[in-house]
Parts: sequence; C-alpha cells; structure tokens
Amino acid sequence: MSAARARLGGDASRALALAAIAGVFAVLSPDFLGARNLSMLAIELSTTAILALGMFLIILPGHIDLSAGSGVGLIGGVAAVLVTREGWPAPAAMAAAAALAVLLWRAMGRTIVSQRMPAFIITLGGLLAFKGLFWMVIRNATVPVSPAGALNVYARLTTTYLPPAWGWALTAALAAVLFGRWARARARGGSGGDEEGFLRALISVQLAALFTAVVNGFRGVPLPAVFLALSYAAVVVLTEHAPFGRRLFAIGGNEEAARLAGIDVHGTVVTAFALMGAAVAVTGFLQTAYAGASTTTVGDLMELDAIAACVIGGTSLNGGRGSARGVIFGALIMATLLNGMTLLAVAPEIKYVTRGVVLALAVWLDARLSR
Amino acid sequence: MSAPLLEARGIVKSFPGVVALRGVSFDVRAGEIHALCGENGAGKSTLIKVLSGVHPFGSYDGDILVDGAPARFLSVADAQKAGVAAIAQELALVPALSVAENVRLGDWPTKSGLVDWVEARRDAREWLERLGLDADLDTPVEKLAAGQRQLVEIAKALRRRARVLILDEPTAALAESEAVRLMDLARTLRAEGIGIVYISHRLDEVFSLADRVTVLRDGATVSTRSASGADRSAVIRDMVGREISDLFPRRAPHPGAVRLRAAGLCARDEGGTRELRDISFEARAGEVLGIGGLMGAGRSELLLHLFGAWGERVGGTLELDGAPFSPASPKEALEAGLSLVAEDRRRQGLVLGQSVGFNLSLSTLDALSRGGLVDAAEEQSLNARDREDLRIKTPSLDSVVGGLSGGNQQKVLIGRARRSAPKVLLLDEPTRGVDVGAKVEIYELVNRMTERGIAVILVSSELPELIGMSDRIVMLREGRSAGEFSRAEATQERLIAAALGQSEGA
Repeated sequence: MSAARARLGGDASRALALAAIAGVFAVLSPDFLGARNLSMLAIELSTTAILALGMFLIILPGHIDLSAGSGVGLIGGVAAVLVTREGWPAPAAMAAAAALAVLLWRAMGRTIVSQRMPAFIITLGGLLAFKGLFWMVIRNATVPVSPAGALNVYARLTTTYLPPAWGWALTAALAAVLFGRWARARARGGSGGDEEGFLRALISVQLAALFTAVVNGFRGVPLPAVFLALSYAAVVVLTEHAPFGRRLFAIGGNEEAARLAGIDVHGTVVTAFALMGAAVAVTGFLQTAYAGASTTTVGDLMELDAIAACVIGGTSLNGGRGSARGVIFGALIMATLLNGMTLLAVAPEIKYVTRGVVLALAVWLDARLSR
Repeated sequence: MSAPLLEARGIVKSFPGVVALRGVSFDVRAGEIHALCGENGAGKSTLIKVLSGVHPFGSYDGDILVDGAPARFLSVADAQKAGVAAIAQELALVPALSVAENVRLGDWPTKSGLVDWVEARRDAREWLERLGLDADLDTPVEKLAAGQRQLVEIAKALRRRARVLILDEPTAALAESEAVRLMDLARTLRAEGIGIVYISHRLDEVFSLADRVTVLRDGATVSTRSASGADRSAVIRDMVGREISDLFPRRAPHPGAVRLRAAGLCARDEGGTRELRDISFEARAGEVLGIGGLMGAGRSELLLHLFGAWGERVGGTLELDGAPFSPASPKEALEAGLSLVAEDRRRQGLVLGQSVGFNLSLSTLDALSRGGLVDAAEEQSLNARDREDLRIKTPSLDSVVGGLSGGNQQKVLIGRARRSAPKVLLLDEPTRGVDVGAKVEIYELVNRMTERGIAVILVSSELPELIGMSDRIVMLREGRSAGEFSRAEATQERLIAAALGQSEGA
C-alpha cells in the first residue's frame, strides 16, 4: 500500500466520523446547522485549529508542547494589559506580545535541543510557569481587550465579518489557486494532476462555497476563519512543499538518519518551536478577544485540545507521520463536539467525559483502520 | 535412518499480493547443521517464521513434521514446546534485565509464590558455563557485547529443551573472534545431537560448518547438497540463477590528485571511552581506499569523524583538496563535498516510514528548491533517473522504503549519497546483509564512481571484499593505524595479522 493511499483512507474515515457527529447534533438541535451557529463554530474552530497546526509542527519532529494553553492565556493577557493598563495602541501591543511568544518558544526549543531535555519536561515547566506569569500579569483580574466604550483592532478580531461580496471573492480566489495548481500538475504529469486531484480541488471549492453561502446568511465570513485559512495554507506549503517540512518528517521518522543526511536537526526543531510561538500568539489574541477580556481561565486545557486534534487527525506522537489536512479534520471533530454539546446545554462534566471518550475512540478506530 | 527432527513439506505461504513460498521442502536431522542460503527476498525469513510458529498453523499450506509426526504450531510457544527455537537477528531479550533474569525469562522458578532467585541464578550459571559464556549474572543484557547476548539467547532456548536451533545470520553483528567462538559452539551442539538450521550470507562459514546446504530462490527450493562435495560457485549460481564470473569486478584505477589526507589524526568521543590515535592515510581521486580491522577497531568511528558526526579532534591534521578540513557537523561535511553511507542502514540511513523518493532526495533538498519550495517536477525526474540507473526494484517511487529488500534499500542510500555530487564518498559496510546479485551491482557502482574521479573510502569486515575492491588498504587496530597494504601486497593472512597485531608469520 502506498503512503498516499493510506493517508487518503484515514481522511475518509475522519470525514465520516465528522458527518456522523454533525448529523446527530443536527437532529437533536434545529439550530445546529443554522447560519448563526455555524458562524460561531467557525470562530471556535479557528482558535483550536490554528493552535493544533502549530502543535503539528512540534509533534512532526517527535516533540510535544504542553505549555501552549498557558501560553495562549499569557500572550493574550500581555496584549490586553498593554492596551488597557499601559494605553498602547492595539497593533503595537499585539506585535510586542507576539514577539515575546516567539522568543519564549524559541528559548524552549533551544533548551530542548541543546541540553537534550525531553520536550515533555521543558514544556510541562512552561505550562506551570506561564500560568503563574499570566496571573501575575493580569493580577488575577479581568482585563478587557479594549478600553471601555472603544472598539479597537484587538476586540474586532472576533467580531469582524467580511462583507458577502468579499466572501465570494475569496472563494473565487481559492478556486483559481486550486484549479491552477491542478492544471500545472497535470501539464507536467506529476502527482496531483490526475482525476483524484481534480476531485479534491472540486470538493474543496464546493465546501468553501457552501461555507460562504451559509455564513453570508448571518453576517459574512468571520475574520478568524480567514486567519485559519491563511495558517492552513502556510502549514501545507511548509510541510508538503518546502525543504523545512521534509526535514521535520525526516527528524521525526529517524533523527540519527536525518542528522547523517546533512540535516541541521537543532536549527529545524528550534524553528518549529518559534513557529509554534507565533501560533500561540495568534490563538491567544483570538481566544482572548472572543472572551472579550483576559481572565484567569483563558486558554485552559487548550494544549490538550490541540494535541487531541493532531492525534485524531492521524499525527503520530512518535513523530514522522501526519498531515495538515488530518489535523484540520481532528480540530473540526473536537470543535464540533464542544459546540454541539454547548448548544444542547449539556452539563460541563458530561462534556469532558464525552470529549475524552471520543478522543480515545477516534485514535483506536484510526489504529484499527490503518492496520 | 530415523525421521528428521523437523521437516517441512511443500510449504506454500502467501501474503496479500505476493507468494513468498511456493512449495518449499526442508528438513533437519539430529546432530546436523543444515545451512539455508538464498538472496534477500528468496523466502528464508518466511520459512523460518513458519518453522518457528511465528506464522501459525492455518496461515500456510503444507505440512510441518516433528519426529515424523504432523505438528501444528499455533504460536511461538507451541514451537518451543516441541523443541524448535529460532534465534532471530533482533534478539528477544529484555535489555535492562540481568543475564540471569533473561535466561529464565518468563519461566522463573518460584518458591511459595515468589521468584526463587537462588535457584534461578544457579540454573543460569550452569547453562552459561556450558556455553562458555564468561559474564556476570547480574550484568544487564544491554551492557553485553553482541556475541554474548546471542549466547544468552541460545542458553534460554536450550534450557527450554530446544532440539532444533534456528540461527538467523548469527555472525552478522559479531566480531571475528566472537564469530569463531559461535561457530565452535554450533559444532559442539551438533555433537550433542542438536539439529541446527544455519542461515548466513557468508559462504565461508556455511562451507566450514554445514553438513548440507539448501538454496532457496524466489520462494522455491532450488537444490539441497551435501556440503562436503559441493562446488561453491554452483551454490552461488543456484542463489542468483546466473553465473557470476567475477565476484569483485574492480577495474584498474587511474588515481588522480590527493583528495583527503589525514596525518596523525587523533580524536575521541565525549566520554573519552573510545578514541582514534595517530591515523594517517591519503585518498586519491579515482581510487578505492579500503579500511579494515576487527569490530571495534575504530573503522566506523573514523568514517563518522571524517564526516563531522563523531568525536572531537585532539590532534593531527586533515586536509580536503589541500585545505585544512574539520567539519563540525554532517551538514558541513556534505557541503564541503563528502558523502556517507553509514553502517546501519535502518538506524543511521533510512527514514523507514517514508517513501523511496523522499529518502533519495533527503540530502539535496536545498539544491532541488526554487524560491524556497521543492521543485516537484525536478525531484520526480531525478528520482526516476536514479531508480532506473541504480536498478532499484520498487513498485513505485512512492512506496515505503522500509518494505524494500536490503540490497534495494542500500541502493537508495547510495543514490542519495551520489546525488550531492561528492568528491569523497565514505562507504561503511555497503554490502552487509545484501544478497550476492545486489553486491555485484554495488561493486559496479563503486567502479563507475571512481571512474568519474570520486575518491571512495570503503570500510568492510569481509576480507575478500576488502581485498577484491580496494586499490590500497589501511588496517586499523584499537583505534590506530596498523599498516597499509597495496593491492598486490594484500592477502587475507597479512591483513588478519595486522588486525590482530601479530607480526607476519607469527
């Protein structure tokens, strides 16, 4: 069996599982497939998925990041404090907080590779330390993302929707990119230029059009969905088309072989951590803006949702195996589950149990099917 | 004559898409060593797995007989109960447990519900003494040398009353002296009435040990001969299905300028436990420099050091094309024009879970990139060219490389090393675990590369290969140079004497 076919089979089973979950919610709640709820789901998915895409870059070379959730709270909180208490303009505050995130994650990456420490331990330290720093920074209070009365860029991150025409323009642009790629692949006779490639492009464009049509029924394409689309495109390009991604796969698959093949293992892993820092920053801003203010619970357990999304999406925790598309499916499953249960007013304790069971079930199923 | 201890009749075993065995018959008698030969992929491993219960009864067609009576092994444990034990290449020992614990693994003697360690140790000591293993019972198995670990595994099997021992490439990971000891043990066990199935690529061993030789090819038995009267070339012919007129087709070299020059090179690893001392050599363009020595003499360390992957330089000089050279990492070495095919292709070479194409282009991704992205069309065409040129047998370039045979995996690594257009190519045991046909193809590749002016440094523990393929040979002993030999001077006797540190004739 070829590697490509194995990946395809996994995605098909994940799509089926997602359809089943969505089907159940659609039957139980008439609002689930409504334009308003799907818009909310899109925003919630964006935060989970962007963080999961960053996590994917860490897990691919065989590492892990447990500090991501605390980091989301910390970085969102730092930006909120700079805006509300220090009076910084929102863009400058976010730029500074994002720079801090990249530096922190880079430092963790360097420690892991240069001191040969397990990422599990270093980022567990990060989980605790960032949580404490976060509470210190916001002084255990609720810090709004914008000064009273004024709506700044930070607050608008999750309340901005693109006008309907823009949504269609983006869909058209996506169609042009995907079909253009397919045509080029076909012209040189490479992989992806066959009927399967055409079908993939067609389904992607149809899904984008369907999504645009539905959310235009509410307020239009939510801004976080655009961030997610851009993040996804960036991670696909990085992992599937850039040397950097090949190196991540090689390091995760066999680090010693990667080193002897002339790969700068340390530099590659440190770069992956720096990118994770950027993902943490974007997620931190979105998550904090969605909550309206930085509070002590922002980001709680998000690292586990991100890891769960990767694993459900077929990423091997040993490294060396996985795809960005699978991660998006995994994030969709986790976000849909949470959104649907919230819509049905399921008790929080039941939500935790359900998510746990679905995670275990999904991984078990994936292992069975890929045998 | 009594019935064979173990007999397979007309075994047919298929996997999805492949018929691995098509009616193989094979038997081993008490007090006999029966060698099983064949190229990689000929079906040896599958046959062993059927004989030892890894592939359970019902998953194959044909009959297994023990002492002439039909046997149905549903598991490895069933086979062990019947007295059949396979000593695999990857040993079934628990690395962190002690020698005594491993000998009695899973079968610890108990006294009122607790493990009786006094009895376990007494018993383990008795077996180890019988096998001539001089090791502390409390040493964790991971601290033992490869040959000692193997003896522990054999002790474990014999203790469970094994009457048939299946030894799969038992000497592949052993130093010369260990290998000799293992072969002596095989003879002793034979004399005690044990039946031994002996699988090896090393025909010298096969002919010095075996009573009979069976050759498998493409999942079928080609021939079974008595070893004493057998013609070696006939066995090779049976294995490859064609005549190999010249096993070592080294063509006359045209040595050019000195590419790599080491003078008094000294290096040691972080802990200072292993070191290279005072090593000098020259590798010229268009020439094969052979590096020999016993296991542990520092051959692999030397190559890894040249490649920036092992040890800290503490003395001496190394020059590449006349300029001082001391790479800090494999990346730097590669960029300077060196290429390495490391000793252990599964651990140090391949990303096993990835495709053939992925592995071929892994070292040259930057050169393949346009505007920061890998040029897929260019990559595809280079990979296709290499697959053709190196005759890599694979269903497709997208196939997982871990599924290829050893020889084809090795060709993928040579393809990768060649891709970066090296000035100096370092080959560490390039034909280990590779079948005869692929060996000759690899030798041809070496010839072609030296003809293009590449300097090749070849490490090999097989003396015939070292002598056959090298233009000059440097022997190492305990991390030091132990003599340099021209092609004309190099005989097995001289090289062994240098490796052992004996003066010639001693």
